[in-house]
Amino acid sequence: MAVGVITRGIAGIAFVLAAGCDAIRPVPGADNTDIVVEVAIFKGGYGIEWHTEIADQFNRDHADEGVRIELWGDPRTADIIKPRLLRRDPPDLILDERLPLWLLIGANKLLPFNDALARPAPGSDQPWGDLFAPGMLDMFRSGEEVYAIPAAYGAWTCWYDAKMFREHGWTPPETWAEFDELCSEIRAAGIDPIALQGKYASFYAWHTYVALVQRVGGVQAINRINGLEPGAFSHPDAVRAAKLYQDLIVNHGQRGAMAMTHTESQLQYVNNKAAMIFCGMWLENEMKDSMPPGFEMKCFSIPRVEGGKGNPAMLPGQGMEYLFVPVDGRHHEIAFEFASYLVSPKYAPDMGKSIGVISPLKDATPRDTITPALASVLDVINASEGIFSIRVRDLLPEWRAQVMHVAIADLCRGELSPEEFGRLLDEGVAAAVANPDVSKPPFVALDPAQYGEQS
Amino acid sequence: MGPRTQKTFTYAVLGLWFCAVTLPLLWVFVNSIRSSQEVFENPFGMPWLITGSPHAELEGQPTPWQSATANFRSAWVESHFAQFFVNSVLVTGISLIGVLICGAMAAYILARFPGRTHNALYYYFIAGMMIPAQLVLVPLFFQFSTMSELGSAMLAPLGLELQLHDSLSGLILIYVAFSLPFTILVLTGFFRTLPGALREAAIIDGCTEWGVFRYIMLPLARPGLVTVAIFNFLGLWNEYIFALVFVNSEAKKTLPLGLAGVSIQAQYKTDFGLMFAGLVIVMIPTLIVYLVLQRQLTKGITMGALKG
Amino acid sequence: MSRVARQRLFFATFLAPAFLLYTVFVAVPGVRALIYSVQKWDGLGDPEWYGFNNFRALYSDDLFSSALKHNVILGICGGSITLVLALFFASLLHRKIRGAAVFRVAFFFPNIIAAVAVALLWMLLYSTTEFGMVNALLGVLQRGLAGVGIEWMQDALPFAFTDSKYLIYSLIPMMVWTATGFYMVLFVAAMESIPEDYYEAAKLDGATPALQFWHVTLPFIREVLVVGIVFLLISSVKFFDAVWVMESQFPTKDSHVMATVLYQKVFSEYNIGYGAAVAVMLFALVFAATLLTLRMSRREAVEY
Repeated sequence: MAVGVITRGIAGIAFVLAAGCDAIRPVPGADNTDIVVEVAIFKGGYGIEWHTEIADQFNRDHADEGVRIELWGDPRTADIIKPRLLRRDPPDLILDERLPLWLLIGANKLLPFNDALARPAPGSDQPWGDLFAPGMLDMFRSGEEVYAIPAAYGAWTCWYDAKMFREHGWTPPETWAEFDELCSEIRAAGIDPIALQGKYASFYAWHTYVALVQRVGGVQAINRINGLEPGAFSHPDAVRAAKLYQDLIVNHGQRGAMAMTHTESQLQYVNNKAAMIFCGMWLENEMKDSMPPGFEMKCFSIPRVEGGKGNPAMLPGQGMEYLFVPVDGRHHEIAFEFASYLVSPKYAPDMGKSIGVISPLKDATPRDTITPALASVLDVINASEGIFSIRVRDLLPEWRAQVMHVAIADLCRGELSPEEFGRLLDEGVAAAVANPDVSKPPFVALDPAQYGEQS
Repeated sequence: MGPRTQKTFTYAVLGLWFCAVTLPLLWVFVNSIRSSQEVFENPFGMPWLITGSPHAELEGQPTPWQSATANFRSAWVESHFAQFFVNSVLVTGISLIGVLICGAMAAYILARFPGRTHNALYYYFIAGMMIPAQLVLVPLFFQFSTMSELGSAMLAPLGLELQLHDSLSGLILIYVAFSLPFTILVLTGFFRTLPGALREAAIIDGCTEWGVFRYIMLPLARPGLVTVAIFNFLGLWNEYIFALVFVNSEAKKTLPLGLAGVSIQAQYKTDFGLMFAGLVIVMIPTLIVYLVLQRQLTKGITMGALKG
Repeated sequence: MSRVARQRLFFATFLAPAFLLYTVFVAVPGVRALIYSVQKWDGLGDPEWYGFNNFRALYSDDLFSSALKHNVILGICGGSITLVLALFFASLLHRKIRGAAVFRVAFFFPNIIAAVAVALLWMLLYSTTEFGMVNALLGVLQRGLAGVGIEWMQDALPFAFTDSKYLIYSLIPMMVWTATGFYMVLFVAAMESIPEDYYEAAKLDGATPALQFWHVTLPFIREVLVVGIVFLLISSVKFFDAVWVMESQFPTKDSHVMATVLYQKVFSEYNIGYGAAVAVMLFALVFAATLLTLRMSRREAVEY
């Protein structure tokens, strides 16, 4: 009798498990058909349609080698990939800078691109690495090693609606005083001058603040911060930049902005409820479905600050949309090769046309293939004499999450003085520098003299 | 205060909370059948499906019916809610069957055949009520890796491998194990109330122990089974943190996980209709189960709480 | 097979599935969490013995203490408001008024919605853009008050409810909105077991409804009330979904709760030992809350 019970019980449980059983599966690659390479793409404003097309192209080119790219995208790639990195089963190639890249570099979990950069990329016979625009490979460089390469050029500018400006007789400001005055005029016309993506202040407000640090203190102020020097954020120049930014947001920012996600505030901007917004170059592509007819998206460079040491022709910017290859992936070489497809002279024009991305490669995106909004950034880029960025935000993720994110949000709310702001950031950096577990790779300092700045 | 004012006051207070609870939900349901454009023009308006579109004369406008269904179509098909739904049904359904079978068998023994070992076992199970998901999350994560490696080594000769991570089976195993303490607690209490003479009589009539359990005790315990089934259904259908850690690929996501993902996507595409539709798809099954079974649920709450 | 052996086999087969599943997937990982918490491990290399250093780090870490504070705020504020409202509604519904069933069904409903869905819904309600129903209502209220000459929240609308700085406080209404129905149903059921005579007697003594509630209802449902308090405390200790969703995976020091700190430490910073230490603290709190109930309900048994 008991035997009957056991058999039934086992049969029952077996049935239950089998019905939803997807844990047992054939060993991949056991049947020796295809080498499947997994590519994960952050699915944000750019979508993944274009990347999928390039993957299809890659698969056609490599059909006879039995190599196949399988590409997927998700708005929460970080949530998905973090556990997979930890269980040593990551995708072969990843595009998502929301992952703690420096932490992974420090733990030797990423492969350097150097060998791949020495080889030519599709559409060129020069080494791939020589094709990149200046500054594009510096963000995740540790000494000679480059651990992640950008798929997009990133420049930080201020956006406005040319139609609105024309109707009111406003013009883009050249100096900070003009900017301030313009904001007052806009307010007087019943429009909020500045929209702010407050929910993600440590990203959006941060980039504008960094731009102001250079405008006030020149690249030397940027070098101090990148070099993790004590007191870099409390330097009078950095404090003045914080003060300028705080005054701008407190006086001219949109109410309730601190609870707005990037799209919420950008919607305010494209619907003319706020006149201007600081943003990167993905703005147009992200908002193109929500832009009312007649809206003329254009940008201007961050204005010069009166009495500042910085060269106003310097561009706040860096590579964006970073690609990297985890050590624990299975097909490193193919991953590198596909990365060189995504960032190649051959496909760059199409990338500009399809998803509005300016290639991180030198002069790879023709101006006539892109929209007027994007062309206005390209003009700013082409007119620039150099590019600068700050790596601490990515280098010290804990500092970013626990110190900077909170401090800059408080700065925007007017609840923290610029001096206090500088002190908090400095203290946080000092604590990170003292922590032996945090990697502090050397960085490439910019020479003020080279960019026509006094030191 | 006279009885009249008292009555007015009672209804006013209850009515206020009634609105606070139902209006936001009503708003979600109404907006789920409105296009993003409609919602953006007036977030609190009536659907054009009823009032007619103010842009009806314009060329190339979708009909109100099209825009009313568009959200659901895009959620169901493009945003893979159909897949999430199937996954949620599979995971919740199989976990429920599993936990009811395992739980009822164990509870029956623990309740009807008391003894030192069984009492100790009972407390061993009940202690699990105090273990929060967060405690086991991380060890379980690494344990899954180890188990998968071991399993793969054993299955290798068959050309198979075991991967508990990112699989519905793995999630089901966790869900069953985690629902057991509560299930055993309630069902043991239930089996204890059943008359013991029934079993003796049946055994004398030649019934096996299995027969007693299957044909006498289980049917009598039905109200208890229904109660734990409802509670486990609601808990598992809405579960998020285990799914977040153990399920990664789009094809394996459950509804709460899919909804969280779509909310970000909706932000990037400024597609609010999609988000409303997603919310409705997640809420509908629980709403139906609740409305059908709310009497048992209410009864169960008291039972569960008094025992817990 | 002997009768005893057969019975043993019968016990074993019935207990085995539950025992194995529970042991492998709940008990063993529970113990391993304790082991991890005294190790230093990045999840990638080999773990090292670390003693109580993780707990020491936890103790001196601002992030953890503010997260703990947020759990306490949610538990104390959210919990007490929920309890008071639930008791209040329960006592109203207990009077057998017409439509009680409708109210009960409606009030309970938010409980059965996935926490993720509730969080998204409240994100929309709190929005500072045109969507925000809460800000729209506050605006109406503000204009109404202005109409009778009262200045209220001038220049403060729309209020940024989901700003990280205020998020924890904004979660309290959400928590109350969700949980009140559950505890109300719990208390109504408990009140039904109170014999009607007690109320009759109290009425004869001239007790007002408030006094009746205090002297008849409350003592009778005390046991259930204690259970309710513990449920609320436990749920506020375990709080995760809403913060994680509303902060789009990036909570800050202003909005972290213990469970999000745990997730971040393990999966973003690869500090497994620290994460496990947070998990152990979380467990200790749940454990303490449960023991407390058991003791309190036992004392009651003696009293009656």
